[in-house]
Amino acid sequence: MPDEIPPAEHARPAVGLGRLWGTFVRIGTVTFGGGMLSWVHREVVERLGWLDEKSFLSGLTVAQVLPGANPVNLALYVGLQLRGAVGAAVAVFGMIVPAFCAMLCLGFLYRSYGRFAIVHFVLAGLAAAGVGATLTMGIRVARRLPRDFVTAVIAVAVFVVVGVLRWPMVPVVAVAVPLSVALAFVTERRGSS
Amino acid sequence: MTFGRLLTLILVFAPLSMMSFGGGQSTIPEMQRQTVSVHGWLSDEEFADVYAIARAAPGPSTLIVALIGWQVAGFAGAVVATLAIFVPSSLFMYWAAAWWLRNELSPLRRAIERGVAPIAVGLVFAGAVIVLRAANAGPLTLATTAAVCVLQSTTRISTYATVGAVAAAYLILFALYQQSV
Repeated sequence: MPDEIPPAEHARPAVGLGRLWGTFVRIGTVTFGGGMLSWVHREVVERLGWLDEKSFLSGLTVAQVLPGANPVNLALYVGLQLRGAVGAAVAVFGMIVPAFCAMLCLGFLYRSYGRFAIVHFVLAGLAAAGVGATLTMGIRVARRLPRDFVTAVIAVAVFVVVGVLRWPMVPVVAVAVPLSVALAFVTERRGSS
Repeated sequence: MTFGRLLTLILVFAPLSMMSFGGGQSTIPEMQRQTVSVHGWLSDEEFADVYAIARAAPGPSTLIVALIGWQVAGFAGAVVATLAIFVPSSLFMYWAAAWWLRNELSPLRRAIERGVAPIAVGLVFAGAVIVLRAANAGPLTLATTAAVCVLQSTTRISTYATVGAVAAAYLILFALYQQSV
């Protein structure tokens, strides 16, 4: 696959499809569960500089709110922005195909070796690392929020209701999103007039 | 017979794909109900095992459907279940992301961006707490979480180095623990 195709109409860094594929294959096979979004942030924004913070954050938002696995949605967004529809497909399959094979292998291995305590121990450590990565991303993203009272209240309320009180996420999001967007619409209006 | 099973997999997972607002985790209870109670593909214990593998395995944990599909109809079942859970939501995401990128200056997009960001932040922290609680996090888990968080915030260490270092540290800890017993 040729690696030096000029980028689409956006003024984005030229990223070859091969590199796009390779990056998401690595993220998809080396990272775990809930930490994946933050690993994508780290690689795509901080290390490779393919997207800036602002466009990453809006992609993260869309990826989290819409149905679908968040990391896969996020890969689609990154791929789409860098290389159009083909890039979106390459990023999504990069994220899924090798991880799919790894999942089947692990399912097989687990049936054979799952009884060994060391397996559970190391897996628990990796899960903890994933949570650490999630917190890092959360802190970084929270710093970029607009500094006003309403924004802070919404963020804290969603955290408490879903994380502490354990209300089901779907109805909470279904109520919170229209409310928050409407408030933001009014705020923006007032700010511009 | 096999065809019928594959069709059932599609009918179970494709709607779940469109319902998984906020990520795959939100559909796990419904997935369990369908696979255990409604269709009897797995027992409760088997579902718990499969869920643990999916959580620990690399990649999106939504790939739990590959293991369920495998149980139902072998390799073809794994492929069909995976496509059923990812294709519908991805098509929707594609459409939405394309609109999003086309309408950079639209006031509606700006309002969505501003309004949804705090919700995304709240959900990120809520997710971290839920995972820690589900894992019955002890001092070692919390220390690992804190160490990775500090390391990631203050250095430019790569993903792969972090994962490798944590795995190596846990292997050594396990060996030391074994020796001391």
